[in-house]
Amino acid sequence: MRQPRPRGTQIDATRLGRWIEHFAGYRTHVSQMRINQWLEQFEEDHRDAAARILDAVEFYREDHLTDAYRSVLGRLPGWSRKATEREGRWRFVAFSRGAGESGDRMLHVFRTANRLSGSRFDSLFIHRSDLLREKLKAEDTVVFVDDFAGTGDQAVAAWDESLSELLPDRPRMFLVLVVAVDRAMTRIGNDTPFNVKAFRRLGRQHNLFTPQCVYFSSNEKGRILEYCNQADGVAPRGYGDCGVLLVFAHRCPDNSIPVLHSRGPVFRGLFPR
Amino acid sequence: MPKALTPGSVGVKAIPTKDLEPNPHNPRRLFDPLPLDTLRESIQKVGILVPLTVYWAKSRKTWIILDGQRRWICAKDLGLRSVPANEVAEPTIVQNIVTMFQIHKLREDWELMPTALTLDVLMDALEERRDGKLAELTGLDRAVVARCKKLLSFPKKYQDMMLDPDPRKRVKADFFIELYPVIHDRAVTKMEWFKPDSFTSKMLKRYNDGGLKSVTDFRKVKQYINTAVKAGKVKVMGSRLEEFADEPRLPLEHLAIQSAVLSARIREITQAATKMETLLRNLVAMDFYAEEDLWRRLERLMQLIRVRLGEVERRVK
Repeated sequence: MRQPRPRGTQIDATRLGRWIEHFAGYRTHVSQMRINQWLEQFEEDHRDAAARILDAVEFYREDHLTDAYRSVLGRLPGWSRKATEREGRWRFVAFSRGAGESGDRMLHVFRTANRLSGSRFDSLFIHRSDLLREKLKAEDTVVFVDDFAGTGDQAVAAWDESLSELLPDRPRMFLVLVVAVDRAMTRIGNDTPFNVKAFRRLGRQHNLFTPQCVYFSSNEKGRILEYCNQADGVAPRGYGDCGVLLVFAHRCPDNSIPVLHSRGPVFRGLFPR
Repeated sequence: MPKALTPGSVGVKAIPTKDLEPNPHNPRRLFDPLPLDTLRESIQKVGILVPLTVYWAKSRKTWIILDGQRRWICAKDLGLRSVPANEVAEPTIVQNIVTMFQIHKLREDWELMPTALTLDVLMDALEERRDGKLAELTGLDRAVVARCKKLLSFPKKYQDMMLDPDPRKRVKADFFIELYPVIHDRAVTKMEWFKPDSFTSKMLKRYNDGGLKSVTDFRKVKQYINTAVKAGKVKVMGSRLEEFADEPRLPLEHLAIQSAVLSARIREITQAATKMETLLRNLVAMDFYAEEDLWRRLERLMQLIRVRLGEVERRVK
């Protein structure tokens, strides 16, 4: 969560311009008109808090993802671009398919970011359904690539339901993420053999509804929660009560607060999923 | 006088419970709690009577359970420090997979794709692709083997969709199993425009967007195709199917090309069935208690209905 502008800061052309620039590249274009429409869903007295939500949103463009993936892979022990310097066999696999995407977009970004697009690296990038055939051993390494983990539910379920069966000889397993909530990292670490490597970690202070989040007052949090309830009565704090203000250019995770991503009839988010 | 044989003297080891790991080829991680309760009680009273079968996995440097995972779970629950176990040589991947298939019965609620991939490894290793042989070898139901093979016929990207960690994005195996007869229909595969990958992708989009009520809608699609073929209207069906694939708003009925003869037969059978249903509903069985001919005829009818329903893969409850 980024530090929002001070309370009472005017919502003028400069501030709108900053938001438009900051959110450039989102899959649904964020225009001045759409920002105004979004703000108008809040009562006039609450628009200052709403504007500060937009200030605080962490937005990740593709170039941010590139930097993140490059940084994380560079730090994995045993990895080298040179095959002769690598420890064991290495395989890279998309962890989850992006919403509304036909392919494994994150894996493609990862591959490009790490200058592994050449055909000589093709054999390193495999399908999940190839894992068993690869017969990876303890000395080998599988790197699963994804963008975000909010609760760790998916990773744990994936391990229990299928991946454990596809990796019988238990190679080293890394789950490489751009952003992860601390709680998710702990859960995945405890309940699966994945070694989670995240470029950015979000602690409790990044959950808007926790006392540790100091950018919003209790009163503001209460008001925001009311709007979040309108947006999504089932998960008003975001899926898994994560309460994060996180948006990727290709999607907004449902762990973010629903006023950001809801497609509901009562409240429409600025970053519809 | 020879010493009395004890478990240890015949090769049974006591292995620390914490040093054992479940078999990685065993997908059956979920166990019904009720039978486990009974086993746990028994172990608490008399201990583990039948030793586990384990092997030492060289690459992982750990003990792996080949047989006895339920006993091991109970031992852990009861806080037993060690369990009796017979050590066997480390099995090959094929031996291990076959053993796991034989020991653990497949449950309906398990995802089928991991099983299909395991079966794929087995088929390659044994160079055996016949359903019957594979069923015999693995203990899987023959129908399950056939379903697994259908899943394996789809391109990798679709197989991956069935393995998606996110249950909301994961595509159920049933979608592909139901689609399979349509994309392998002889008339369809000969249609000039038809490309299995593109058609699958369009059907998947249609399904995700709510353009199909259920995966069983593909049975209707198949029936419409069969009817068109019998009526000699393959060309018309070709155009309609292409339109159906390209235009998500077109309803399933767009494919309905019914010949007058078929329509008349459907009407005839439906009317007869309705009449029979009314008669039977109003029948007081005991009034006809001694009418052996009647009951025999009804039994034959019931059997015939079951056969016909089975032919179209309808489950009779």
